[in-house]
Amino acid sequence: MAIAADVVRAGFAGIVGESQVLYGEPACAGLRVDGRLPRCVVYPTSAEQAAQVLKFAAENGLAVIAIGGGSKLGIGNPPQKYDVALCLRDMKKTLHYEPADLTAGVEAGTTFQEFQDLLRRDGLWLPLDPPGRERATLGGIVAANASGPLRQLYGTPRDMVLGMRIATTEGKVVKTGGRVVKNVAGFDLGKLLIGSFGTLGVIVEVNLKLFPIPAERETFILSAGTLGIARDLRRRILNSPLEPARLVLLDAEASNLIRPVASLDSAAREPEIWVEASGSKAVIDRTRKDLEELGRAVGAKVQLSDQEGSRASWRLIADFSNWFHVTSPESLVLKGTMPTAHCEEFLSLAQQEAGNEKVKVTSITQVGVGIMVLGLVGSNGANPMVPLVTRLRKSLEKLGGALTVIAAPVEFKEQVDAWGTPGSGLKMMQKLKAAWDPKGILAPGRFVGGI
Amino acid sequence: MKRTPLIKELTAIMGREAVLSRPEDLMLYEYDALSALRTPDAVVFPTTTEQVVRLVKLAADQKTPIVPRGAGTGLSGGAVVTEGGIVISLARMKKILEIDLESQRARVQPGVVNTDLSLAVADGGFYYAPDPSSQKACTIGGNVAENSGGPHTLAYGVTTNHVLGLEVVLPDGEVIRAGGKCWETPGYDLTGLLVGSEGTLGIVTEITVRLMRRPEAVETMVAIYDRVMDATRTVVAITSEGITPAALEMMDGFTLRAVEQATHAGYPMDSAAVLLIEVEGLGEAVSEQARQIEAVCGRNNVRAVRRAKTPDERALFWKGRKNAFGALGRISPNYYVQDGVIPRTRLPEMLEYIEAVGRKYDLRIGNIFHAGDGNLHPLLMFDARDRDQSQRVVKAAQEIMGRCAELGGSITGEHGVGVEKNELMPLIFSEDDLEIQRQIKSLFNPSGLFNPGKVLPTGKMCGEIRVQVGSGA
Ligand SMILES: Cc1cc2nc3c(=O)[nH]c(=O)nc-3n(C[C@H](O)[C@H](O)[C@H](O)COP(=O)(O)OP(=O)(O)OC[C@H]3O[C@@H](n4cnc5c(N)ncnc54)[C@H](O)[C@@H]3O)c2cc1C
Repeated sequence: MAIAADVVRAGFAGIVGESQVLYGEPACAGLRVDGRLPRCVVYPTSAEQAAQVLKFAAENGLAVIAIGGGSKLGIGNPPQKYDVALCLRDMKKTLHYEPADLTAGVEAGTTFQEFQDLLRRDGLWLPLDPPGRERATLGGIVAANASGPLRQLYGTPRDMVLGMRIATTEGKVVKTGGRVVKNVAGFDLGKLLIGSFGTLGVIVEVNLKLFPIPAERETFILSAGTLGIARDLRRRILNSPLEPARLVLLDAEASNLIRPVASLDSAAREPEIWVEASGSKAVIDRTRKDLEELGRAVGAKVQLSDQEGSRASWRLIADFSNWFHVTSPESLVLKGTMPTAHCEEFLSLAQQEAGNEKVKVTSITQVGVGIMVLGLVGSNGANPMVPLVTRLRKSLEKLGGALTVIAAPVEFKEQVDAWGTPGSGLKMMQKLKAAWDPKGILAPGRFVGGI
Repeated sequence: MKRTPLIKELTAIMGREAVLSRPEDLMLYEYDALSALRTPDAVVFPTTTEQVVRLVKLAADQKTPIVPRGAGTGLSGGAVVTEGGIVISLARMKKILEIDLESQRARVQPGVVNTDLSLAVADGGFYYAPDPSSQKACTIGGNVAENSGGPHTLAYGVTTNHVLGLEVVLPDGEVIRAGGKCWETPGYDLTGLLVGSEGTLGIVTEITVRLMRRPEAVETMVAIYDRVMDATRTVVAITSEGITPAALEMMDGFTLRAVEQATHAGYPMDSAAVLLIEVEGLGEAVSEQARQIEAVCGRNNVRAVRRAKTPDERALFWKGRKNAFGALGRISPNYYVQDGVIPRTRLPEMLEYIEAVGRKYDLRIGNIFHAGDGNLHPLLMFDARDRDQSQRVVKAAQEIMGRCAELGGSITGEHGVGVEKNELMPLIFSEDDLEIQRQIKSLFNPSGLFNPGKVLPTGKMCGEIRVQVGSGA
């Protein structure tokens, strides 16, 4: 039975105050998820309020999607139900900041940019380059375990979160972990929340490990000629003592899109490997020398990109999954994860299969990590996409990987599960979901296996 | 079930050679490296996941507790029996199942000894990074259960940052695979939850880990101080100046004298503290960082900084550190190793606090720790035959833990909660925080038969440590 509109109004207003709840189309337009509009958006200003909102929603069967900056709402299956957007934009206090300890704690609505601006003053940063970082909040980044090419050297939020507080559907705020860099007291519940996309509880505060900004950075571009050469380069680089900060393979299509931004001349007609070295001048010089040597061994030229150009290019590379879909809404963006040894093999397979369907592939692969973002554009509508993606998913799962849908038209998402085949852990995941969210109000249906 | 029929059933599953049931054999399993509790009813040594499943099902049928065990080097009583039951030793599941150097992964059974994995991949230029000081004995399964750290986890992260996939036998006998070879798999991070769960949520029967490339260059230094305060200040300065050594360990004068007598590593007998500092990576980076560190030490009144000139000398420096607990065991009949964490900038005041606690309770306390992480290991010396002293040790340890909590730290950085600190959990967690942990535990382990009485407060002995503080290993 649907709950009466005035009860909802009174309920939320009682928790967060009337001015912190907005109803209807204009206010909610930007908070659409897979085309669906919520009834209202609630802006809590404290952890306790957020928990109370969840409790009220659970008691009244209102489906809630937690939203930070809204930069990753395309990820996941279309929601079964969506009544309330719980937006954390008004929760952005810095709770503690200890530059000398290299730790900080913030409310989840703190934007990534604001946080980096704060840290930069002390020569520190959070070494992440997730997609959508102009808008992204730290809570959202953690909930999505979002990262970009910097993952090569620094890992993901999973490696940087020291502790968090979580608002639960029971209306409680619970803590897990702590503020120090080493801690094994109790079960590591934070790991469950990281990458849970708001389906278990709402992250309201996070404590993070910080890092010093490297003195210098330099970007090197190695022309690869073929995917075979790219594989050879990947092996040589990963087998060398070099410690690149970022290491990606752009296929020819991706290079063509990125090179103009890097103010590099003529379009590349071949795959390229982009390497970012960071550290002291001596480290960068050494990296250049080694890459040149490596390149020579396989017949790859090494080019240098200027500072400004490379900064802009890395932004674009990191944000690929975002802008690719925005610029062509009919496109699909997929993320493949795989053992690094299979990167080029899978890319070549994807290109071939897509080619057979007259679908164009644009891809950027973190070859040292085994993460590939693929943009697919068809020439005759969405028709070939469903069988194509299903086939690619099967092939990748055979290689021990997984293929997830990052962005796609709703019609496509209604036919293909965003996450792929759940493993044998699914039953346990469903039990966890049922324990944390017994009424099933948190982003229902959006996650793995119908969770 | 009575013991005799239980042993019969176990023998039917396992064969005679894989079941211990004679009292004199069982006695050895009353201990881990911290404590001694009850005698188990039986100890079994499965070699396959299938056997583990059958054991778990049998135990569930018989309502008998199960305690998984690796090498028994744990320091929080995790592998000891609290109320009888079967100890499942994973020590014979020690095959390395797969090594994939190109993808930098290895898949191992839980009984593989930590260093054996690194040795197996050394020829290819790789190693497994988490390196507890007990690495020559402890198992990867035990490391996973405790989320163990080590000197080099300062730069590379603890066990959880290196484990990508697990095969786990759940308390109902179901086998699940969490994660895998890839950095990401769809769904909740069950691997992340299971790492550090101290054998209370499931038995780990297979582990997929990340391998790392051996760095090109290493520089190992010993910085010698006349005052403890200068050593702790150096640690703070190194962190706050943004230098990340691969390892940054500290020993106070008392400890290093014991170590020196035992290993002759070359630590000066008359100093107040030493830092053992290691930097690794590209040759260029290493020599720069080593210079920076020497400069920081210099600004903090170091007496001298010695660099290891040969691999042998480096090994000797480390031998001293890694055998430190044992060295202290030679000079005191018993010791109680503590494991607490504080924000690293609080190190100088925390050491003063520990000293004051030692004075208050009239105890000798040695300090040895992973200073770069703020992970302290005060060692409280005592003689277990002296009851009064034993009680003072427990009180002193609790006060130190209380202080760690007050400073915003933790009551354990790597040794785990086990039966040692479960009643101290309220120092850092509220009742709501603990309730949600209980809920997780009962989801996985509804009958409570898996490693009972560990990790969460039992409420039986409010605020007291129940552990018989045992002799030093
Ligand atoms: C001298 C010395 C130095 C040490 N130095 C360090 C250090 O630097 N850093 C550090 O972190 N620790 C250190 N420790 C502590 C200890 O070595 C670690 O906790 C280690 O990981 C324990 O491994 P183990 O195989 O001995 O496990 P055990 O002690 O046998 O068991 C530990 C826990 O793991 C559970 N368990 C074991 N195997 C499994 C499995 N397969 N599945 C599920 N649960 C399982 C047990 O039930 C128990 O709760 C040290 C100990 C000693 C004695």
